[in-house]
Amino acid sequence: MSLTRRVHDVRTAWWLRGCECADAATRLHGRPSINFEGGRIIVGRRCAIGSVPVTSHFVAGPDATLDIGDDVIIGHGAAIAAYERVEIGRGTQIAPFAIIMDTNFHGGSGDQSVHHDCRPVVIGSDCRIGSRVTITRGVTIGDGAEVLAGSVVSSSVPAGACAGGARARLLGRAGDPAVRWEGTAAMVPLLIMDAFTLTGVPDRDAAMTDIPGWTTGRLEELSSAIARQFGARVPPARLAAARNVSEIIDIVEGDRRGGGAR
Amino acid sequence: MAVVWLRDCDSVGAKTRTFFRPHIHNRGRIDIGRGVRLNSNWAPLELVTGPRGAIEIADGVYINYGTLISAQERVRIGANVMVGNYSIIADTDIPGIAEPAGAPTVEARPVEIGDGAWLAARVTVLPGARIGAGAVIAAGSVVAGEIPAGAVAGGIPARVLRQSAAPDESSMTGPARGEAGAR
Repeated sequence: MSLTRRVHDVRTAWWLRGCECADAATRLHGRPSINFEGGRIIVGRRCAIGSVPVTSHFVAGPDATLDIGDDVIIGHGAAIAAYERVEIGRGTQIAPFAIIMDTNFHGGSGDQSVHHDCRPVVIGSDCRIGSRVTITRGVTIGDGAEVLAGSVVSSSVPAGACAGGARARLLGRAGDPAVRWEGTAAMVPLLIMDAFTLTGVPDRDAAMTDIPGWTTGRLEELSSAIARQFGARVPPARLAAARNVSEIIDIVEGDRRGGGAR
Repeated sequence: MAVVWLRDCDSVGAKTRTFFRPHIHNRGRIDIGRGVRLNSNWAPLELVTGPRGAIEIADGVYINYGTLISAQERVRIGANVMVGNYSIIADTDIPGIAEPAGAPTVEARPVEIGDGAWLAARVTVLPGARIGAGAVIAAGSVVAGEIPAGAVAGGIPARVLRQSAAPDESSMTGPARGEAGAR
């Protein structure tokens, strides 16, 4: 074993002292902040935790368990706090600036005035959590699910699904290129929201006739927004024929594919 | 100090300055142009490349503190680009941490930011994103896919909010920004 490796291992062991670590192969990139307020923090095998450029911090409140599985990767700037139970399954990858807490309130240590109404957070195995995602208490994320960058997850995500938005909506299956942020499935409902100045993102199966102002000249605006975003020329008349949001997604996707083939 | 603190970069242009110490983890290639300013006050700035990764920062770029730029394949930042604090510009989904030896290679999609673009604070640029010359990205946005030149875009994900009437004016060919880069 090389000297640098040994120094690295000693440093890792010192920085993670108090945690229940399965082995020394865990790699720390910068020093994380670890607060024990009476609970346990379990770190699995071969984990990687980033704290550069922004420190990641981990908190385990009284009798709480923060369980990080094997092969988990956590980017910098993470804030992960357990006051009852937070579980991160094996092989899950968490991008920078994630906030994962099983309580709505991040109390200071020894602050008796704080009453934590906790609901455990469970993140399955092989999940992919994007940058700057906030996961609120009581959320369960199924195995292999994906959460797109910038999302706020306040309800559970089934296994293998992809969710995105604030609050996060189900967009499709994880790994499908159409359900990336730049894909039509994620983007078109937002363009509809912008064009018709709706207060919320319309569901995929929302009927277009239920959208206020659907028959007015706003269709022009939607058409030009789609043109700006995807380079697809969909005339307002074709949009007017759509019955629901899902059909508009199909029209735009079809036009893009056709445009790509030309 | 720039000479010392940027010694792990492959090339650094003249008059490039660092404010406090950036973190450089270069296992591939990092090229920094002339007159670049890198701010690492309050939170350091971090540049990371994997074995096959390349970061190219063109002339006159300003990058504010706490920003992470990570390349497993290629990240290019055009001339006179400004990047706000705590931004993330990366060509992989989980950036910044070197992949474990023997692990399957992560999928990287190159990122390109055009000349004279302005990214405000806390912008996340996702893998595969291409931001056109002179585009402005609003604070807190998540950029995916393509943003046309001269556009003002924002939101999660970033949508085009306004298309600048004359994209040429806001790009680096414009008089004001061109001068800033020449300094």
